Amino acid sequence: MKRFMAVLVLVGLVMVAPPVSFAGQMNTGCGVGTMIMKGHDGLLFQVLAVTTNGILGNQTFGITTGTVDCKKATSFAMNERLNTYVAQNMDNLANDIAKGQGEYLNTLAVLMEVPEAGRSTFYAKLQNNFGAIYTSSTVTSVDVLNNIETLL
Amino acid sequence: MFLSSIATGIPCAFGQDSAYLDELQGRAHEQRLHEDPYWQILMHYKKCFHGYTSLIDDPAFFLAPDGKTNPEAELKATLKAFFEEPPEGKQTAVCRFAARYEWLRERLHIDPSRIAQADCASFEEFMQQMQPESVVLVFPMAHLNGPASMFGHTLLTIETANKSNLLAYAVTYSAFANETFGPFFAVKGLTGLYPGYFSIMPYYAKLQEYSDIDHRDIWEYPLNLTKPEIRRMMLHIRELDHIASDYYFFDENCSYALYFLLEAARPGVHLTDSTHGWLIPLDSVRAIDRQGFIKGVAYRPSRTTKIKYLASGLTDTEQDAAMGLAQGTISVVVRDDPSSPGVAKVKTVDLAVEYLQYLYTKGLIPQATYQERFIRTLKLRSQLGTIADDAMEKIPPPVRPDKGHLSNRLALGVGIKGDDTYVEARIRPVYHGLMDNDDGYVKGAQLIFTDLALRWYPQDHKGSLQSLDIIDIVSLAPRDKFFHPVSWKITTGLRRISDEEEQDHLIYQINPGGGMTFSTSHFGLVYAMMETGLNVSGALEHGYALGAGGSAGMLVTPVPRWKTHLYARDLYYGLGDTFNAFEACLQQSFTINPNQSVGLDISRRKTRGFYETEAKLAWNLFF
Repeated sequence: MKRFMAVLVLVGLVMVAPPVSFAGQMNTGCGVGTMIMKGHDGLLFQVLAVTTNGILGNQTFGITTGTVDCKKATSFAMNERLNTYVAQNMDNLANDIAKGQGEYLNTLAVLMEVPEAGRSTFYAKLQNNFGAIYTSSTVTSVDVLNNIETLL
Repeated sequence: MFLSSIATGIPCAFGQDSAYLDELQGRAHEQRLHEDPYWQILMHYKKCFHGYTSLIDDPAFFLAPDGKTNPEAELKATLKAFFEEPPEGKQTAVCRFAARYEWLRERLHIDPSRIAQADCASFEEFMQQMQPESVVLVFPMAHLNGPASMFGHTLLTIETANKSNLLAYAVTYSAFANETFGPFFAVKGLTGLYPGYFSIMPYYAKLQEYSDIDHRDIWEYPLNLTKPEIRRMMLHIRELDHIASDYYFFDENCSYALYFLLEAARPGVHLTDSTHGWLIPLDSVRAIDRQGFIKGVAYRPSRTTKIKYLASGLTDTEQDAAMGLAQGTISVVVRDDPSSPGVAKVKTVDLAVEYLQYLYTKGLIPQATYQERFIRTLKLRSQLGTIADDAMEKIPPPVRPDKGHLSNRLALGVGIKGDDTYVEARIRPVYHGLMDNDDGYVKGAQLIFTDLALRWYPQDHKGSLQSLDIIDIVSLAPRDKFFHPVSWKITTGLRRISDEEEQDHLIYQINPGGGMTFSTSHFGLVYAMMETGLNVSGALEHGYALGAGGSAGMLVTPVPRWKTHLYARDLYYGLGDTFNAFEACLQQSFTINPNQSVGLDISRRKTRGFYETEAKLAWNLFF
């Protein structure tokens, strides 16, 4: 059955010159979709990588991948997950900080171990000091963490 | 025999344990452990007509040379490996195959003190670091404008003790490919030429991909796995690290791979045996639900959905202001709605920020521009305080996809064509048509594979293959102030058409098109497309006909459950055979319940100057 289906669909796909978006969109479904384009690293490695400085970078805005360097914010330096998280979620985190609420801001509080009771004050403080945290449009994730640290 | 030769092959340092190994292998044989369902789950063995074969294709997964097809030899070799020193630089078998070890230890009451290295520190560290607490099944819906993505995807997330969903680990099984040429992807993906691997990454990285870049809404189904079950799942994931299985788009796909994880987690569950030829990810959600795993549901709207929702609560002027902020034509919002001071302004800025991110991820503005505008707009936002209804939390969830109609459709109908009456049976396995009830699906999107229609004309005692739509995809993605998608379609398959002598011929047809759709309040989705058509058939004078033309139509839901589609299509064939093909059609469907509907189609067609009128009434059953 598998081969039969495959052949049928292939007949269609191969003979058709797909319209612009078709081939691209195929890459996001279950099969031919969800392709991993980069090298496959071991599962254990991947877990370690996201929890240590394996892929820790210093990121600016614009959803980016790849590492710039491995500087760390000073007193949060021990908190590798925090550094990685902020580097990899620059845009969504900035948005939440400006709004004074949201999932990305919550997660920041979790990683910075801000007690539940102190969170609303923490959120308000970050929102009120947005300009002091995000000092320029090319601010990096390390700057952001250092600036937050200065505020607290 | 084989066993004794293994025993003599054990290095001297482990010689004293060979008696114990013999004993364990003997006990395993007595208990016929290799026939135990759990061993078959761990090894991905499937029964076939000549015995067993594992769906795993990577030799590194097997310890016996014939391990892929011989469960008993593999079990013996696995026990033996526990007593051996690992090759230089490799993990011990106890560690590498921790799931098998834990299960065998339990079943055979293995005494760990008699095994050289009977613990696996790296796995325990991994669990310590991860602190898995609960597991969620995640189903991203289709793209806004990509019905082909409607086939979907499923993954699992493992939530950890820290209670932040974003920090959960996403476990996903996917094909591993370096090619970027679309058709090669498709061909190889369909025929199992790509190896599939599991990968783990933070859920936030997956969300960036699905919500922020691909604009797919996501459904999250928390599962009721207990801690010991999660541990068994983690052990199995660990064993599959770096292990390849051939990836098949239709059956051995992302969703099927997750079945093995759930079976490994909860012994006694039957999921991998329940598929018949193909597995649609959404159907896997239903199957997992039937097995009693799902305990809740949560909706996570994509950025596009957030933008549409925010815009729907604002006036035209406010929408324009948001647009101006995002496009950099204005830098402050001066106007505010006097009836709700503050709130409208906040929403306007929020909309601008989301739209700005949309523009950037679509590559419509350069990074430097984006960065500057993004910070400027957020600074503005940060001065406006908080509002009670944050877009993310307040978006009303649509019908959950697993509650929509089922994937297979059988249609039984009667019709009149000219003077002839006929009965028609129509069947298709995949997935959703324009006229089907939209609940749980993306509106205006159609994805159909292999739709087969057979007819019987009682007067003539004549049966025929009426049509076979191999692929029939339509995307009517409405354009508005914020989004300007191109609507498109591709239809290919066999179709029966009549010639001047009223003779029927089966022709092969390819019919792609592209155009625009608008969403209107009274006429639903209104669209127009440019189309081309290629007909190939021995019955044609030149063997083929190539033409161009267009279509226009409207798809309306006047009242819930009732859907109408009125369209006309006109194609002029100028190369090969020359003729004109015109059709006008009114389709209606009435939903009886989620899995039953009635459809009435009335059409008038002209091919080569010959007109025919047809009416058909059909009952549709989704199963």
